[in-house]
Amino acid sequence: MKRTWKILLMIISAVPFLGGCWNQKELTDLAFVMALGVDRGENGHGYKLTFQIVNPGNVTTGQMGGGGGLPIAVYKSSGVNLTDASRNATKEVSRQLYYAHTNVVVISEKLAKKEGISNILDALDRDPVFRTTTQIIIARGTTAEEMLSTLTILDKLPVNNITKSLDVTENMLGENTKITIDDFISGFVSKGKHPIANGFTLVGKKNKGKYKSNIDSTIPEVIIKTDGLAIFKKGKLTGWIDGKEARGAVWVLDKVKGTDVNIDWNGKNNAINLITLRSKTKVTAIVKNDKPVITVSIENEGNVSQADLPIKLTDPDVIGKIERKMEKSIQKEVLGTIKAAQKQRSDIFGFGDVIHRTDPKLWKQLSKDWDNRFADLQVNVKVDSYLRRSGIRTNPFSVDLK
Amino acid sequence: MFLFLHFVIPHRLIPFHALNAGNLKSIFEKLDKTNRIGYSNQYWLGVSSSKSEAGVMSFLSRMFSKQQKKRQDDNIRQDQDPGKPEDLPILRDHKDNINRIKEELGNSTDVVIREYTLGTHKGAIVYFDGLADSKAISDFVLESINENHTEDVLNEPFKFLLEKAVALGDIKVVRDWGKTYQLLLSGETIIFLDGFNKAISGSTRGGERRAISEPTTQLSIRGPKDAFTESIRTNTALIRRRIKSPNLWLESMKIGRVTQTDIGIMYIKGIANEKIVEEIRTRLNRIDMDAIGGSGYIEQLIEDQTWTTFPTTYHTERPDVVASQLVEGRIAIIVDGTPFVITAPALFIQFFQAPDDYYFRFDISTGIRLLRILSFFLALIGPATYVAATTFHQEMIPTTMAIAIAAQRENVPFPAFVEALIMEVVFEILREAGLRLPRAVGQAVSIVGALVIGQAAVQAGFVSPVMVIVVSMTAIANFSTPSFAMAISARLLRFVLMGIATFLGFYGISLGLIFMFLHLCSLRSFGIPYMSPLAPFNIHNQQDALIRFPIFTFTERPHLISKGNIVRTGTNQKPGPPKKSENDSAKKGDQE
Repeated sequence: MKRTWKILLMIISAVPFLGGCWNQKELTDLAFVMALGVDRGENGHGYKLTFQIVNPGNVTTGQMGGGGGLPIAVYKSSGVNLTDASRNATKEVSRQLYYAHTNVVVISEKLAKKEGISNILDALDRDPVFRTTTQIIIARGTTAEEMLSTLTILDKLPVNNITKSLDVTENMLGENTKITIDDFISGFVSKGKHPIANGFTLVGKKNKGKYKSNIDSTIPEVIIKTDGLAIFKKGKLTGWIDGKEARGAVWVLDKVKGTDVNIDWNGKNNAINLITLRSKTKVTAIVKNDKPVITVSIENEGNVSQADLPIKLTDPDVIGKIERKMEKSIQKEVLGTIKAAQKQRSDIFGFGDVIHRTDPKLWKQLSKDWDNRFADLQVNVKVDSYLRRSGIRTNPFSVDLK
Repeated sequence: MFLFLHFVIPHRLIPFHALNAGNLKSIFEKLDKTNRIGYSNQYWLGVSSSKSEAGVMSFLSRMFSKQQKKRQDDNIRQDQDPGKPEDLPILRDHKDNINRIKEELGNSTDVVIREYTLGTHKGAIVYFDGLADSKAISDFVLESINENHTEDVLNEPFKFLLEKAVALGDIKVVRDWGKTYQLLLSGETIIFLDGFNKAISGSTRGGERRAISEPTTQLSIRGPKDAFTESIRTNTALIRRRIKSPNLWLESMKIGRVTQTDIGIMYIKGIANEKIVEEIRTRLNRIDMDAIGGSGYIEQLIEDQTWTTFPTTYHTERPDVVASQLVEGRIAIIVDGTPFVITAPALFIQFFQAPDDYYFRFDISTGIRLLRILSFFLALIGPATYVAATTFHQEMIPTTMAIAIAAQRENVPFPAFVEALIMEVVFEILREAGLRLPRAVGQAVSIVGALVIGQAAVQAGFVSPVMVIVVSMTAIANFSTPSFAMAISARLLRFVLMGIATFLGFYGISLGLIFMFLHLCSLRSFGIPYMSPLAPFNIHNQQDALIRFPIFTFTERPHLISKGNIVRTGTNQKPGPPKKSENDSAKKGDQE
């Protein structure tokens, strides 16, 4: 009996050690991949991966850091698929590649156009470490490798330049909106919606971005810049929409957080600038004579931010007129985007999904040939604009000049 | 390991009614017969659980059985202890008595024997120098004896002494030596008279005592500034001054074969649960040791559970705390020679209540109490979280922070756990050194410690600055627990959790915390569930649990503690301006 207990005690006391530091990894043994770049492999075979790996000692300032070296190191590897390439990278990288903090996946335009990205997504979606909130962007007119090796001047980590500038444009300009891997995949699998992705481009001498000299000058030789929205169809990049057209798309997708609209007044072009503070978009579908009609209704609140001609902003009638003009302007812009998308036969707005929700039976018929049906879909855009304030002035000073 | 087992196997609830000492045993024996648990003996050992644990216990007890045998040998010798009361009667001849005292006390030099003459009768006064108040003896005993007395008074000298001459308040007649020594050693004066086989004992307790001073461990901003002292009488008086009720009862006993330490049990009759009082009495009576070092000894000898890091009795040096707990139905145990009074039953939440909680308004008190509970858990899982996050869950740390920590750890030669362990141990050493060293040196140690840990170690690259932050955060959080007993419990468990976190990460921490809570829920303090009123949940007693509600809502005493008498206040104690109807009636009253 005594023996039994002794043995039992020994066995139980061994239990906590049997786990044996399962999955334990020290911070210093990890290579934090901040951004992952995917390029087309040589001769169109397989993939070339680019890892933007943070060099912790050079990022943080203070007692321990600030060695003055480069904040990132970029490694490359190739393989027949993503996992293969990632494992191949261990030949070069002295630490375990760690994707939990990866913020951005950059895919080159070439790859997206030629091979499509459907073979990439599964690996990203399946890996438990990789976050599905990672943003997906397209390197427009350049390679992912070049984009990821470019140093940026304001953000020590170049990846932050990409994510933060996306954040800011989304809030202030409204021409881009965050697209995560999750968003992209849900667009990818849906029959009534085509996915979009943000485009980024390099401006300047592309091959100079990787040198420290790029950030030693106040005007860097290369900068990373957002550039349009990429439209995907069946996993392949089919076209781009830019500028106001892109904003129209963001507007329909109800992702506009803040932007500005110019309107003409008394024959003067772009005389009044209005900023949007809040915007809400609702997309509804009604079926008329077995034909679906989509209504996009946008509710928009804003301020006057600039008025370059004498105009009585204290007059409610004038305000009403401005509001109508603003509505017209937004309506025009959104309709323009929809037309452009219809021309490309890409339903990036998810109108198909709306019809699916409203009339599933009808959708069954339409879904077979949705791209063509979308091309001649009737879409109405209704905009309600409200001017709330006029900044910290009422009338512009030019009124007093008279 | 035993502790581990103990954590794993949740305790069976002990029904409250089972507390009565008389029926306790029979109840547990019944349970035993129904083949449920092995309670009957284990309960008293402070261990109670399912069969398997009883088995472990018996294994342990067999391991110690050799020592037990040795103890029995000791018992035989202890029968001749000088502390053992002897019931021999006092002799008629006072000379014989004096000789006996001299002989038995080994001619101790602090025994004062003063012989006197009362008329034709001779006698002696005996007291201990230093224990007795020599001024009272000379003023109220010697002086009145030495006055000239009439013959007829001296016909009955003993009666005269007892009724007139000895002008002291508390006077007893003693007949045996056991009692004599006991009183003598308590500081009383024994007056022998030739020809009588009895003596008079006069209460002259006195001598040097520490004055009442400010509390040193339980500080309060707004509360009273007096604290208990080493003298039991002062302490009981401090409590009595706060509760002027005839129902405040004090029972006394002496514990310790040699030390004969005075113990007082104080409770309010009618509020305190009789069964708990009886239980405390029984547990105190069970104590049979040669020496009682202080209330810490008593605490450890009467608590329900030895195998726990959590305190199941409360101790305080503040009379206001004891008074408020007595009114709630708790029972105070006062031990002579210790400025800390034990109160029982103690609940988990009680250790997070500070006296200032009640002296300030409820909103502030609530916030601070929640802060204290938070910091308790911070102290508990701080280093464990650091180890788990940096070795298992790097994805949980915000990117920038992860990079910052990685940068700091770049040149640290140890894995995170070893780093944390070294720092924590060094800190514990510093803390202990600071506590034990003479005050003047303590300052120097803390400076050296701060320089060595805070600066040199970081600069040398042995530890990362984050670790220093974690350790100091943990330390500060640990200090904010109002009860030291609870704080050291977190201090100990911190290392256990750190160990588990190294193997199992956050999964291990949650596992450890679950076991800790299971264990807490299984604890009892004199039959009261330790986690009440949270578990078992009692809606009526929530006003002073996690959140301190306004004072006027304190309408009921803790239901489980003061079972019968729970109403504390009159109705409608909510303060506020007079209501309109009251106003009117008041005006009417004025006019009349």
